[in-house]
Amino acid sequence: MKGIAGMGGSPRWTGCAIGFLLSTAAGAAVQPESGLGLPRDVSQNGHLVDWLMNITSVFNLILFTIMCVWMAWACLKHNRQHPAEYDHGNSKHSVTIALAISAFIFAVVDGNLFVNSINDLDREYWNFEKVAANPRTVRLEINAHQWAWDARYAGPDGKFNTEDDIVTWNEIKIPVGVPIYVELTSTDVIHSFYLPNFRTKMDAVPGQVNRFWFQAKEGGDFDIGCAQHCGTHHYKMKALLSVVSPEEFSTWQANASATAKRAFDPEDKVAHWGWDWKEF
Amino acid sequence: MHEESHPAGVHPEPSGFIAKYIFSTDHKVIAKQFLWAGLIFLAVGGSLAMMIRWQWAFPGRPVPLFGMFLARSGGVITPATYQSIFTMHGLIMIFFAITPVMIGCFGNFTIPLLIGAQDMAFPKLNMLSFWTFVISLVLIVASFFVQLGTAGAGWTTYAPLSTGIGTPGAGQTLVVAAIFVTGAATIMGGINYVTTVIRLRAPGMTYMRMPLTVWGLWLTAILNVLFVPVLGAAALLLILDRSFGTQFFIAGAAGVKGGGDPILFQHLFWIFGHPEVYILILPAWGFISDIIPFFARKPAYWYRGSVFAMVLVTILSAVVYGHHMFLTGMNPLLGKGFMTLTLIISVPAEILFLNWLHTLWKGSNRFPSPMLFALGTVFVFGLGGLTGLYLGTIATDLYLHDTMWVVGHFHLTMAAAAFLGSFSAIYFWFPKMFGRQMNEGLAKLHFWTSVVFITLVFCGQLVAGYAGQQRRLFIPYQYTFLQHLLPLNRWTSYFAFALGISQFVFVYNFFRGVFAGEKAEQNPWQVGTLEWTLCSSPPPHYNYATAPVVVRGPHEFANPEVKKVLGRDWIGQAEELPKFSAAAVKSAARGAKD
Repeated sequence: MKGIAGMGGSPRWTGCAIGFLLSTAAGAAVQPESGLGLPRDVSQNGHLVDWLMNITSVFNLILFTIMCVWMAWACLKHNRQHPAEYDHGNSKHSVTIALAISAFIFAVVDGNLFVNSINDLDREYWNFEKVAANPRTVRLEINAHQWAWDARYAGPDGKFNTEDDIVTWNEIKIPVGVPIYVELTSTDVIHSFYLPNFRTKMDAVPGQVNRFWFQAKEGGDFDIGCAQHCGTHHYKMKALLSVVSPEEFSTWQANASATAKRAFDPEDKVAHWGWDWKEF
Repeated sequence: MHEESHPAGVHPEPSGFIAKYIFSTDHKVIAKQFLWAGLIFLAVGGSLAMMIRWQWAFPGRPVPLFGMFLARSGGVITPATYQSIFTMHGLIMIFFAITPVMIGCFGNFTIPLLIGAQDMAFPKLNMLSFWTFVISLVLIVASFFVQLGTAGAGWTTYAPLSTGIGTPGAGQTLVVAAIFVTGAATIMGGINYVTTVIRLRAPGMTYMRMPLTVWGLWLTAILNVLFVPVLGAAALLLILDRSFGTQFFIAGAAGVKGGGDPILFQHLFWIFGHPEVYILILPAWGFISDIIPFFARKPAYWYRGSVFAMVLVTILSAVVYGHHMFLTGMNPLLGKGFMTLTLIISVPAEILFLNWLHTLWKGSNRFPSPMLFALGTVFVFGLGGLTGLYLGTIATDLYLHDTMWVVGHFHLTMAAAAFLGSFSAIYFWFPKMFGRQMNEGLAKLHFWTSVVFITLVFCGQLVAGYAGQQRRLFIPYQYTFLQHLLPLNRWTSYFAFALGISQFVFVYNFFRGVFAGEKAEQNPWQVGTLEWTLCSSPPPHYNYATAPVVVRGPHEFANPEVKKVLGRDWIGQAEELPKFSAAAVKSAARGAKD
């Protein structure tokens, strides 16, 4: 990881440029974004969110332009010199027009949001059946606490909270092209696991297990952030998501699991924060 | 004001200083008390905002001017100070700036005057409401001076962060207590407003003849009476968790294995919190729904539609709060239900917008400062409303939740629109309130600087949020994916500083107006509502010697009959058309009634 560019008024462009060179050279660091748009989408389903936001922006731009032109026109043309029309706007004709315009805007803009959002949730974001049925799905347990993310992989036995579990700290390695099914909780306050490049996030709430899933469509390193204010060092609750090839992931997983088994200490209860995979 | 004997059945005006200006039961004096308190705390909340913007523009650099409050860290904002700053910015602006100005001041000042009443239904309760509010201000100020500083759990005060686990110290407790106490003050005010509108309307002042200002404030009061008690309950339970060892909201924490439910707090908070959003905007909708027809010199377009829309918003506001909690692990069906209801609330908002735009259309528009601020409110609320669509929809909220997009959106609605709407009201009623005038040139300067910079600031936040920047980050540039946003955030900060500085124009103009402004006429705006047509500026202690008899609605402009008989484009709400055929009077009255 490279240093923080732009802190304390340091020359930020140099910082960014160096960061970029380093990351392309090493190929193992988060690459900065550029421009004022959305961050790169590296997820299998993030384009759905992007499309829905962008189409809504187009509708909004049209509506807002109409509103501004209407206001400007009325202000400039129907000014002090223009005689005011004596109209209470409560004739059947006026009311029908007002209601029809409202209904039309609602049907198009809100209707589009509603239908697409429901579809996206049912088919993708909240479609856990699809993910659970996929034999290649990687399951992860995440435990958030002030101010770090602990992640737990089940290991070869496929069970959580056993001696072959791999536990990582602020670094999550996942294979590309495979659904990652996450259950998460918190031990202190509420946090929110945020993957900007995957267009998703989920709250980590003490006392309850929440779930979400995501899938990478390309390799690389990406920021994991906390999106819920969780105390003084909320801003430092950052972790690294490393997306690697399935082969590299398997090799890493086998090695890490073997190491974990050797280092397992049955007395260290605090380290066994995992839970049996929860079926919802 | 002339010295005439006060009318029968009304208490004489108190003559002692304390009874007249301190412990006053006169709604007009209490309104001014709320106004002063609200404006002072608006300045405090605004200063805190400037410090947040400084931190995002120049992290690690000593803060100019305000740095003197941060002596221990050499004028630099630390992470602990930072979380207190944004927490208190939010709480102060919502509960101690916008609420007192909009509801405390204009609720008090306008409701009795606009409905033709001599005072509130419960004048002593009114006084008690203000002084209870003062106690909460004392608690807030005290919280800054205790060990570990003031509250730091965010304005939403989410548990368990807001319990002893996350935010130890007396500061957070004092602030939660202040919220409880100010809630009590709000409920007292709310009961008073609700009762006053129901019971004390002048003869002929039917619901459908009330100025839309009164509608906005009345619906606000109803929401306050219904939902602030829920906030009070949440605050009380939180105090029990903090100070008395209960565990209502604590669960699973490593140290204290509580059996409570952190999400319960969010339910309680947002059952109040979402109506609160409308509590802060309904008065502004009311103000501008009156002020736009006043200066378009045209009847308000589809008055009943506006009333209907505001009532619908009031009802719906109670059942949409779940959209704040889409990512808490809420049942998907519940989530979809809240999404549906949230999208539906855009319909009444559209009706209001169409009515404002139609009122302007074919008007004889003129642009004194209250009108400019009203149009500015429509503009920023348009932006705020449209940007909310992305957050009410779950799929897009997955990405935008808890980002600066949310911050930009709610600032455009409940900060920018409430701010400009409040100033619209201040400039409009200032002559009636103080009997003097503010300088119109300075008022216009204040408008243009405010509307331009406030739009730029909050649109800058929207852009940062679209790029993924989370809320409440001490140094956003810790994240690699946010490093390139420093120039954007710095520019947004420059605009914020310009917005802050331009408020001094208002401060000067306001003080000059109060103490040295030219004497105001009784009806400088030439409009027909009761306070302008029947009261001197400022109104006498008892407002109306006898109850006015209202014969028409509040926006009777451009009526050809009136023009023919009276030679002006407006007619008072209690003014009969003299010496003319009964048919004409009837038609005018019918026009206003519909």
